[in-house]
Amino acid sequence: MTENALEGIDLGRGLVLPNAVGLASGTAGYGFELEQLIDIQRLGALYTKGTTMRPREGNPPPRIAETGGGMLNSIGLQNPGVDAVAAAYAPRWSGWAIRVIVNVAGGSVDEYVHCVSVLESVAEVAGIELNISCPNIAQGLDFGRDPALAARLVAAVRAVTERCVIVKLSPNVTDIAAVARAVEDAGADAVSAVNTYIGKKIHRASGRSVLPLGTGGLSGPAIQPLALAAVAAVCDAVHIPVIGVGGIIDAASARDFLIVGACAVQVGTATFINPETALQVLDGLRG
Amino acid sequence: MTADLSRAALETGEVLIVERLGGGLLELVARLPHLAATAMPGSFAQLRCSRSSTPLLRRPFSVAWTQDDNCGFVFEAVGAGTRLLSELQPGDPLDTLGPLGHGFSVVDSGSVVCVSGGLGCAPFPLLINELRRRGVEDILVLNGARTATRLYPAERFARPAVPVVAEATDDGTRGHHGPVTDLLHQAMASHPSALYACGPNAMLGAVMSTLLESGADLPPTLEASLEAPMGCGFGTCLGCALPVRAEDGTSAWRLCCTDGPVMPMRDVDWDGLRALPGADVA
Repeated sequence: MTENALEGIDLGRGLVLPNAVGLASGTAGYGFELEQLIDIQRLGALYTKGTTMRPREGNPPPRIAETGGGMLNSIGLQNPGVDAVAAAYAPRWSGWAIRVIVNVAGGSVDEYVHCVSVLESVAEVAGIELNISCPNIAQGLDFGRDPALAARLVAAVRAVTERCVIVKLSPNVTDIAAVARAVEDAGADAVSAVNTYIGKKIHRASGRSVLPLGTGGLSGPAIQPLALAAVAAVCDAVHIPVIGVGGIIDAASARDFLIVGACAVQVGTATFINPETALQVLDGLRG
Repeated sequence: MTADLSRAALETGEVLIVERLGGGLLELVARLPHLAATAMPGSFAQLRCSRSSTPLLRRPFSVAWTQDDNCGFVFEAVGAGTRLLSELQPGDPLDTLGPLGHGFSVVDSGSVVCVSGGLGCAPFPLLINELRRRGVEDILVLNGARTATRLYPAERFARPAVPVVAEATDDGTRGHHGPVTDLLHQAMASHPSALYACGPNAMLGAVMSTLLESGADLPPTLEASLEAPMGCGFGTCLGCALPVRAEDGTSAWRLCCTDGPVMPMRDVDWDGLRALPGADVA
């Protein structure tokens, strides 16, 4: 087994991450909270909150529920919209060493294309992560479930950006490798895997779902073995770089993803419990 | 607007005692010099309940009081997390993140009414201490609970001089027999410059309804410390949304952790809050 490089991770189209450890979308906002708590500039990448064409207020609460070794969320892509991100947030990333990769979500090909087009002229945006797999909005999941639809979306986005396009894959599919191959063929520069698993929790006193929409996305250490299997399958299926994400809580659980072939990792839910987790993972991997 | 987290820090303190107050109320005291030095009235800290990954999430607790290097937290063992905290022994480490949250707007003149329901007593000792430091002496605490043993002891709301505490219990075992909101009418007769409330969200809604129905002028400062299940506590997970009324009258979400937990009671969408299912993280 070759030793994975931890520095200078080349994801394609000129996007080189300073190191292999990033903050996963939906767990780090746009960086402005965490930069007050930790030295985020030591990290390789910040994958922003899922950003949509128009502002979204998000889902009604409760939006989270704790489960064994994990949590369910149903945030509903609350975000200020791509115009606000480009105009108000991006200037604040100026001079940051950490690469800011904007996670883009939408309900139609046109919405994704619009967002990516708006971001194309924003210098502070280092790359695009296409969220084709948010389980908490009405139409977001279909792109991630169908290889042909996913490919059509990636091709449309590919046509309007010179930036590195990373496609974040849904684990809620029968054959994740097929979706990975389809987006690779359509022009994706890299893939990140996986987004959250669809899960459900019952409020035992009432017999109803805790989350108002019935289900949410499961994250946290409970999903690490599931995510690892999915990432291993993706690594076997494609030749583009693979970023591993799902249940990482420390350097050991991150290293598993590198061992199966990922070139970088994202730390997600663990940041909620300890904001320093990603830095500890980085230091631990460097040994 | 990005939350100001400049005072927040991870700090591993040392448990000094977990005191059983009766009726299931617990007071955890820990040596936490950073938190003690930086907590403001209404601040909370995220306490880690376990070193394992179950329960996974930290639990938010108001900083009840500070004294020198020590901080107090009041809680009840109602779920997996709080049960583990209740079992802590003197000398055990306590992993904290804080201070967090938007606290009370502390007035420096006039009279003040604090309305507490059950565990809603938690933020008031620190608030009352700060009010006194600013020269506010006319402080009335309305303290309500289900039953007498669940009333936070009056002498703990402030030391050394205890404020006036009027008590109410649902079962009539001490003080007024009925909800704490029954005591509001008389309290408002003094035209307080501030009313601060903390308790279950339903009780806070009842406080607001009672004030509006009384026809009395609302205090200029009218704030409540609210609660919601929290993921992170510092504004990134967006899990702790609460309904508020936007200026145009429509409903919007605000985060309990960074927009709150203390919010102007005039801004909260109380009907929307009442309609929400209960919390699931304890």
